[in-house]
Amino acid sequence: MQDELERRRTLRLECEEFLYHAAELLDDRRLSDWHDLVTEDIEYRVPIRTTRERSSNTEFSEEAFHMKEDWGTLKVRTERMSSDFAWSEDPPSRTRRQVSNVRVIDYTDDEIELKSNLVIVRSRKAETDPDILSMERHDTFRREEDGYVPDWSEGGGLKLARRTVLLDHTVIPTDSLSIIL
Amino acid sequence: MSHDIEQSLSAGESGPQRTRRILDSMGETLERGEVPIEILNDEDIYQRELTEIFGQAWVYVGHESEVPEPGDYRQRTIGEDPFVFVRDEHGKIRVLFNSCRHRGANICRAEKGNTTHFRCPYHGWTYQNTGDLVGVPQKGAGFDHLEAEEHGLREAPHVDTYNGLVFACIAPEAPSLEEYLGGATWYLDMYFDLIDMEVVGDPQRWVVDADWKTPTENFYGDNYHVPMGHKSAIDVGIGSETATGEEESKLYGIADCDGHAFSIYQIESEKPMFWGHPERVVETFNHDALDDDQYEVARKSGVTLGTIFPNLSFIFLGGRDDPNKDPVGTFCLRQWQPRGPGEMEAWNWILAPTDAPDEYKERVYEVGMSTFSAAGNFEPDDIGIWDGIDEAAGSVFAEQTEATTLFTMGRGENTAATVDDDWAGPGTAYANGGVTDENQLDFYRKWHETMTTEGAE
Ligand code: FES
Ligand SMILES: [Fe+2]
Repeated sequence: MQDELERRRTLRLECEEFLYHAAELLDDRRLSDWHDLVTEDIEYRVPIRTTRERSSNTEFSEEAFHMKEDWGTLKVRTERMSSDFAWSEDPPSRTRRQVSNVRVIDYTDDEIELKSNLVIVRSRKAETDPDILSMERHDTFRREEDGYVPDWSEGGGLKLARRTVLLDHTVIPTDSLSIIL
Repeated sequence: MSHDIEQSLSAGESGPQRTRRILDSMGETLERGEVPIEILNDEDIYQRELTEIFGQAWVYVGHESEVPEPGDYRQRTIGEDPFVFVRDEHGKIRVLFNSCRHRGANICRAEKGNTTHFRCPYHGWTYQNTGDLVGVPQKGAGFDHLEAEEHGLREAPHVDTYNGLVFACIAPEAPSLEEYLGGATWYLDMYFDLIDMEVVGDPQRWVVDADWKTPTENFYGDNYHVPMGHKSAIDVGIGSETATGEEESKLYGIADCDGHAFSIYQIESEKPMFWGHPERVVETFNHDALDDDQYEVARKSGVTLGTIFPNLSFIFLGGRDDPNKDPVGTFCLRQWQPRGPGEMEAWNWILAPTDAPDEYKERVYEVGMSTFSAAGNFEPDDIGIWDGIDEAAGSVFAEQTEATTLFTMGRGENTAATVDDDWAGPGTAYANGGVTDENQLDFYRKWHETMTTEGAE
C-alpha cells in the first residue's frame, strides 16, 4: 500500500514535470524541441465540439477535427510555424499555458494514461484583451530512451504517444490555431 | 452650420451621411478600379449590409447531406439571424426562424440533432418539425381564441437547393435560385453535378478579426497573393502541384459571371487532373452530367476556387498534409459570417465524393483540415495578414482622405491578363488570371449594386 502510494506520487510528479516542460517549450516557441518529444506513432486529435442536448452521447465529433495529426503532419506544422514567412506567427502570438488538475488514470511499465486541464492565454500585438482557450487533454505517455527525463528521475524518458484535446469551445475564440495545444 | 462647412468637415459626418457619400461616389471609384476602404469597418454600412444584402440575397444555409434523415436539424444563421435548417417528417427541407411565436424564445437550442418536435422551454408551446404549432399548454383555459394554424413558426419564404447546396432568401420577393446563380451554375455543375459530394462531420467555426468582405474579396480570386502569402506552406512542400510548379498550368480568372467569380487552373496534360482526385475515385463520378466543354475544363482542372455572392466561397485542390503522402482532391466550402463591422465568424465544411471509399474520404478530410481551416497550414497566414485592415478601415484618417484599396492590376497596355474569347463557359475569362483584378472587382460591383438597389433604404 505504501509502495503503491509512493509509486503513484512519483508517477504524477513525473507526468507533471513532463507537461510543464512541454508547455515551456511551446510557450518559448521551441517547436522542433517539442516535436522531438512525440513518438513516431503519435495520434494527436482535436475533435470539433458542438452544443448538443444533454441526452446525446457525446458533444465531440468522431469525423471532424481541428487537428488530426501524426508524426509527419506535426513535423510539417512545427516547421512551417517556425518559418519567417508564417505570417500568422510572425510576429509571434504570445502564449502562456497553465497546466493543472493532473490525474493519472492508469499505467503499466511502459505507458501512463492521464488527464489534465489546460488554459492558454494568448495575446497578439498591443491587444490588452487576450484570447483564452480552455480544454481538457487525455494523454498517453510512453517510456522511450530519448524521451524527457526530469533531473531527479531514475526512470526512462517519456514521450507523448497519444493526445485528445477536448475543447470547451464550439467556436474557436481566437483568430487561428497556429499554435500547438 | 452652413452646408459648405458641414461638407468640409467630413470627419464630423453622421453615419448615414457617410454611407451616402461612400455609396454615391462608389460607382466612379469602382470604374477607377478602387474601393473605399471605409466600407470594411463602418457601423452604418454594416447595418445596411444586414438588411440590404443578407436580407435580400440568396444566402447559403447548408448542404443536404447535413440533414439526411427526416427530423435532422442544424442551427444556422442568415446574416446574424437565427434559423433552424431542418428536414421535416415528410422529407422536405425547411429553414425555420428560431424564435417562438409566443414570446420569442429559441425553440431549438442544440446545434444539431434529430427531433419530431421543437418544444419551447419558456411556456411549452410545441411545434412539429414542419413548423406547425401543435401544442399550447392550457389552451382551453387561456388561449381558446388562438388559431394554431396561424401561429406556426415563421420560415424563410424562399428555400431552394442546387445540386445539394441549400440556399434561402428571407426577402418577400426573390428571383429563382437558378436565376440568381446565373452563369455560376455552369461552374457549380463541374463540382456538384459531376461529383456527388457529402459533408464530412461538422463545420469548423472560428472567430476572425476581419470584415466578412475581406476573405470574400480574396476568394473572388486574389491569385496574386499565393507566392508571398503562402510561402511558408509551399516551402515545407505541401503546396498543390501548380503552386509548387510541378505542373505547368494556365490560370483563368472568370469575371462578369452574374456577380459570382471563379479562378481555375488548367493543366494541359493527357493525364486527367480532376482537382487531384485519383483514377479510382474519378471512376465514381457522373461522367454524363456535363457537356463536352465543361467536362474538358473539369478534366484539366488543378486548384479551383470561387465565391457565390454574398459570402459562400470554396477551394477545390489536390493537396496534402505531409510531403511524404499522396495528394488527394479536397473541397473546402466556407462561409464568411458577418458578426459586426470588421468582425466575422468563419465556417468551414469539408466535402468528399460520396461514392469514394471511406479511407479516401478520411484523407480528404485530413487534407482539407490541414490546408484551409483554423488550424490549416494555409489559411492562418491569410488571417494573420488581414488582421489590421479593419483598423485602417475604421480610422479617422481613412475617412478624411477617403482612402481606397486598389484593384487595377492588369489594366495597363502591356498586361499579360488578356480575355480568352475561346473560353467555353459563361462570363469573361482572363488568361493569366493571376494578374487581373476584374474578378475581384465584380464582388464590389455586385456589393454596390445590391446596397443601392431601388427600394433599399
Ligand atoms: S415563449 Fe415559447 S412558449 Fe412562451
Ligand atoms: Fe490565401
